[in-house]
Amino acid sequence: MRHSSERASFRPSTFFASERWGVLSRSLAAIVGGYALASMTSVFCAVALPTARGQAVLTGMLLAIVVAACSALWAFATRSALRAWVGILGPTALLAAASRLLGAWA
Amino acid sequence: MTLFALTLSFSAFTALSLAMEKHPQDLHGAAAATPARRARWRVLGWILLAVALTLCVVDHGWAMGPVRWLGALTLSGVPLVFGLYPYRPTWIAPLAIALPLVGLVAALL
Amino acid sequence: MKNGFRQSMAWLHTWTGLLVGWLLLLIFMAGTASYYREEISRWMRPELPSARVSTDVAAQRAIAFLQDKAGNAEMWYVTLPQPRNPAMSTFWRVPADQADPSKGRRGAFGDATLDPNTGGELKARDTRGGDFFYRLHFDLHYIPVYWARYLVGFCAMFMLVAILTGVITHKKIFKDFFTFRRDKGLRSWLDFHNVSAVMALPYHAMITYTGIVTLMVMYLPWGVKAVYPQDEDAFFAEAFGGLPEVSAPAEGRATPLPIAQLLDSARAQWNGIDVAGFTVSNPGAGNAVIDIRQRDGKRLSTDTPALRYDMVSGALLEASPPSGGATATRGVMYGLHLARFADGGLRALFFLSGLTGCLMVASGVVLWAVKERPKHAKRGRVGFGLRLVDALNIGTVAGLPIAFAAYFWGNRLLPLDMAERSGAEANVFFYAWAAALLAAFLWPKRLMWAWQLYIGAATFALVPVVNAFTTHAHLGVTMRSGDWVLAGFDLSMLAFGAVLALCGWRMQRWTPPLSAAEKKKRAAAAKAPAAPATTSADASV
Repeated sequence: MRHSSERASFRPSTFFASERWGVLSRSLAAIVGGYALASMTSVFCAVALPTARGQAVLTGMLLAIVVAACSALWAFATRSALRAWVGILGPTALLAAASRLLGAWA
Repeated sequence: MTLFALTLSFSAFTALSLAMEKHPQDLHGAAAATPARRARWRVLGWILLAVALTLCVVDHGWAMGPVRWLGALTLSGVPLVFGLYPYRPTWIAPLAIALPLVGLVAALL
Repeated sequence: MKNGFRQSMAWLHTWTGLLVGWLLLLIFMAGTASYYREEISRWMRPELPSARVSTDVAAQRAIAFLQDKAGNAEMWYVTLPQPRNPAMSTFWRVPADQADPSKGRRGAFGDATLDPNTGGELKARDTRGGDFFYRLHFDLHYIPVYWARYLVGFCAMFMLVAILTGVITHKKIFKDFFTFRRDKGLRSWLDFHNVSAVMALPYHAMITYTGIVTLMVMYLPWGVKAVYPQDEDAFFAEAFGGLPEVSAPAEGRATPLPIAQLLDSARAQWNGIDVAGFTVSNPGAGNAVIDIRQRDGKRLSTDTPALRYDMVSGALLEASPPSGGATATRGVMYGLHLARFADGGLRALFFLSGLTGCLMVASGVVLWAVKERPKHAKRGRVGFGLRLVDALNIGTVAGLPIAFAAYFWGNRLLPLDMAERSGAEANVFFYAWAAALLAAFLWPKRLMWAWQLYIGAATFALVPVVNAFTTHAHLGVTMRSGDWVLAGFDLSMLAFGAVLALCGWRMQRWTPPLSAAEKKKRAAAAKAPAAPATTSADASV
């Protein structure tokens, strides 16, 4: 009786509390957020490294792959999905701002 | 030279496996696994690994040498773990002694 | 996750591995086969003779052919016979005003594969040979190349995460280094997965990371766009630049020096390392230059050193500039992935490591099913997820080998003059795999495993037989003439067949482990006959 009434009424607080959304959120953070962080890492290296332009770009790419992998680990190791997003998008924004200051997309 | 390094890797892995508690117990019973003996096997194992690496580097340089060494480790480790320990454990000790001799002869020829 | 760090990494390892495991298996199997793509190509074109002439003679013949066929070209590109590839390939570009309009964009280009023994064009069956497997493992098939490379890159990132999480999760990675407990069901599968991963861990990490590096410019173009906003060509010139552009052809013709002399100059510069090929710019003109490329084998990096000589005077004009640090690093990464430097023994080591990788991925997906099955036993029937995994496991782990062997059957059995023959050979591969998958989906049971493994064993083992019936390059001939490439291929087919047959036999003979209650019953039954014997003995005493 209790089961049918729970299923009949859609309660957002319990629906979204289910584990599935946490997993989905972390997965998106890992994949989409991770790619964004990797991309900004490669841009930042390209403008910030003191070496020749072409070398800095290549170094950024080599590093970005590792950053993407580590982002995935962070997204699932950290305590909550929110922390996953903050821990990935925060540095992404910082790197983007720093890159802009250093002359990217001039 | 590669064959010698390969066979030395096999013996090295045999020695290192005997340095653990589990494997000498499986082979010879609990008495064989004293800490002192295990420490000796560990030292021997690492020395043999270092010799194998040296041979690879001397023969092929610092670029190709380590690559070959890592490949030799894989090639010697897989038969030891998947073939010998589960199916023919009594062959391990004789092979660990005989194979490097074969490799040495091949290297000198 | 609310769980600990290790547990969340274990969860991530399971899902990154499982979701792309079957595609990864295709990539790993095709990639491992690619280590021998030249040898496979040779076996698949048995009409191709081995090169019996020296590099210099081959080069002379290539130039003679090009002077005849493409005398008006502004560029000739020649790849000389290599130890593993006896054919010569030539490629040329004519000036735009002399292009063939009927061929559209490609009208300015031409190519020909030459037999160095005759200097003429090679006549062999239309096949992609081993290059099919090479392309398959990053371009896949039937879908646009861009999509395929993004998909493969995505899977490779999942694989990289799986490797990292696997190492983190494997608590007793050193203690369990040599541990494999056989015939213990789930425990054995886990041990097998662990050992196949750890025993070649440097290789697995290297091949995955370097694989992504080979296409990193495509995956991460943002640094280029940020720093070279209008002029991306400048990036390629600065990052990968070799020799500078060649100037336009000068007026007037001049006779070039003999090619052997030019090649020898290069060899002298390189202290004896041989030549891989060369590019002639403005052939026949007064300012003709030749860029001579170094052969693989002595350096890890794929970046090929080249020397530019004036063809008329023989003077050394340019040498490849030294690479920057990042360029050199990327070159070594690329080189490690392709392993073009690897000779016989080292190539075999790479191949075996690749096979170990296939075993790692295969045992991983099977392990998941073995672990999952008891949860469904209580319900009495298998849920959708497990059934799907079982079907994919059978159709891929046992079905892909069938596809590989079928590809070789197709090469021998398809009519030689068929249109689109190389495409048809590729279709045979996929038809076979599709059939295996379909059969697996219809009946994903243990016996289907055994049947598919047996069929795989038969298709592999019969390749040398089909070879004997369709060509003159079968074992009887090749072993006697000492052609160990072709003989080795046939023998490898037999070896794979034997291994698959063994696997099929074990699958067929497997009996489920006894439950604790059943074991007790059997132990009691074994003790019971002893009891009456003792009492009678007591009675006699």
